Amino acid sequence: MTKDRQDATFNRRDLLKLSAVGGAVIAGASLVGARPVFAAEELSLKGKRIGISTAGTDHFFDLQAYNAQVEEVRRLGGEPIAVDAGRNDGKLVSQLQTLIAQKPDAIVQLLGTLSVIDPWLKKARDAGIPVLTIDVGSTNSLNNSTSDNWGIGKDLALQLVSDIGGEGNIVVFNGFYGVTPCAIRYDQLVNVVKYFPKIQIIQPELRDVIPNTVQDAFTQITAILNKYPEKGSIKAIWSAWDIPQLGATQALSAAGRTEIKTYGVDGSPEVLQLVADPNSPAAADVAQQPAELGRTAIQNVARLLAGETLPRETYVPALLANKANVGEVSKKLGIG
Amino acid sequence: MSAEIPFAEPLAAHLPQAPRAALGRRLATLVLRGGSLAVFVAVLVFFSLAAPFFLTIGNIGNVLAQSAIAGVLAIGLTIVVIAGGSNVVTGGIDLSLAANMGLSAAVYATLAQAGYGDPVAVLAALATGIAIGIVNAAAVTLAGIVPLLATLAVMNVVAGVELVLTQNTVIPASTDLLAALSAIGPYGIPVLAYVLLVFAALVAAVVQYTPWGLRLYAVGEFPEAARAAGLPVRRYLAASFVVSGLCGGVAGILSASYLSGSTTGAGEMLLPVVVTALLGTVFSRRLVPTVTGTLLSALFVGFLVNGFQLLNISSTLVSGVQGLLILVVVSATTVLRRPESH
Repeated sequence: MTKDRQDATFNRRDLLKLSAVGGAVIAGASLVGARPVFAAEELSLKGKRIGISTAGTDHFFDLQAYNAQVEEVRRLGGEPIAVDAGRNDGKLVSQLQTLIAQKPDAIVQLLGTLSVIDPWLKKARDAGIPVLTIDVGSTNSLNNSTSDNWGIGKDLALQLVSDIGGEGNIVVFNGFYGVTPCAIRYDQLVNVVKYFPKIQIIQPELRDVIPNTVQDAFTQITAILNKYPEKGSIKAIWSAWDIPQLGATQALSAAGRTEIKTYGVDGSPEVLQLVADPNSPAAADVAQQPAELGRTAIQNVARLLAGETLPRETYVPALLANKANVGEVSKKLGIG
Repeated sequence: MSAEIPFAEPLAAHLPQAPRAALGRRLATLVLRGGSLAVFVAVLVFFSLAAPFFLTIGNIGNVLAQSAIAGVLAIGLTIVVIAGGSNVVTGGIDLSLAANMGLSAAVYATLAQAGYGDPVAVLAALATGIAIGIVNAAAVTLAGIVPLLATLAVMNVVAGVELVLTQNTVIPASTDLLAALSAIGPYGIPVLAYVLLVFAALVAAVVQYTPWGLRLYAVGEFPEAARAAGLPVRRYLAASFVVSGLCGGVAGILSASYLSGSTTGAGEMLLPVVVTALLGTVFSRRLVPTVTGTLLSALFVGFLVNGFQLLNISSTLVSGVQGLLILVVVSATTVLRRPESH
């Protein structure tokens, strides 16, 4: 019986792998033109003023990417004009407005809600300033440096499905569908789960919030655990980033429900530490390489200003950290 | 409210050093009044020397536009402070203004997205603001709750309603009105900048130059005397909250144009708005809250933030500087205003 189920799971997984390969081929086709980061030493930003705008620097990801951009502009001989909106949309728009008025040689926008920033990215473009983005798929951006969020979403979903044996209830945090990378990761989860009819996403889905994400996730998961008190009634908790995962994991440990596994994305050091802890419910976290993303975006600016044509998207590989390989991944990220 | 005048204190205790102290106070008041404007000018001069781009028409227009939302909210708060008295704890305050703006923007964006035209969406946003004002007014004048607590409670309710309405997500909206508001107007200055100036001029005209405005001051500064003179004190107080609510609605529409819809985190606007309104008193001749003073204060804060950005100084310092300013100003005005009540 068990073996049968395993076989069935295997078959399904094989099927999924096939579809994943298909997806990878399509993704690969769109990757044509994206080149790995080589020959950075030939690049120069001498005498160039580069606007660097970020939605915030309060998460590991943002801070790493932001600092790496500033350092890379300086390393290439340019002058960074760096502004940090502190996760406030109004401030973000004000800063973009002032940046545009200063007419820098290029603007790189890191994260931000697309509908809010897009009109201002368009204004920058209309003012003749090249706009590049990191993790924002704007039509007004000449190039978007990003992790392959389709791949991230698929890898995380497959790990989840595999860990819970293809059946059970899962809790999903879906608070920021307006943020493109979160939307892609969520859609990939749904795409994968679709082929496993015994997996149910508990409705209504939870909304993660900013700020106080950890405390809020803790409270929400505690409430859910009270609603589903039986062990095994929930198999996993998924979130599009790993800060709600942190709160959820803490709530599970506090309630003694460590049989439930948690999943997230971003590779925050504190979450990777939990993944490394064999007793923690944190099962997997896909780590992006934020500093590499920041450097790549600035090198793309230098390429653009040197007259090169940029691909629409430049993908920086993401690393899936699970209980088995977390040490290796942390080492690669330089936080091991 | 000036109700905290310590009548029981023996007057004689102050008499011996009174003339000298009075002179000192008068001098200090003079320094604070003239000084605040001098500081404003000094800041402008410093930034224009340090960042050559600072004093260009385009940048000034940007600062005006960037100050528009906070400015309109702070003007609303100023009216409540005028009518309720400027004691920060027991006087007039409306803490629900930022949340009001958030909900009004959310109502506007939701309706716009649902296909309703500008007229419906605008009316609904303004009605939302006014409704919140009416709830505040009822809580303060009918239930007799201290404005600080009443509006704090309303703030939480409003923020909760906004969460329910928006599910804490961004609601994009694009309408003709929003496009017109976020466009660039004559002389390369954003339309929002003109909106702020016109709005401030209109409210200033009503508050500073009409009998209604004069009575509003009377109600706030000397409620007992105003009542004795036959003014309906509670009605004026209630009206101030309704006007402030309307300002929240207007700011909501401006915010929807600035952010191309409604977004989360409106509550973060509260502190800057309170700072702006309180700071406004130093830009008035009698050190009382005025609409023009609040406008100047909004621009002062706006120019500070802008100057910091142009000099590439970390924006994390700005909120610290704002806090420091409010500490200096509130303590200075408190110290200077106390003797006037004796």
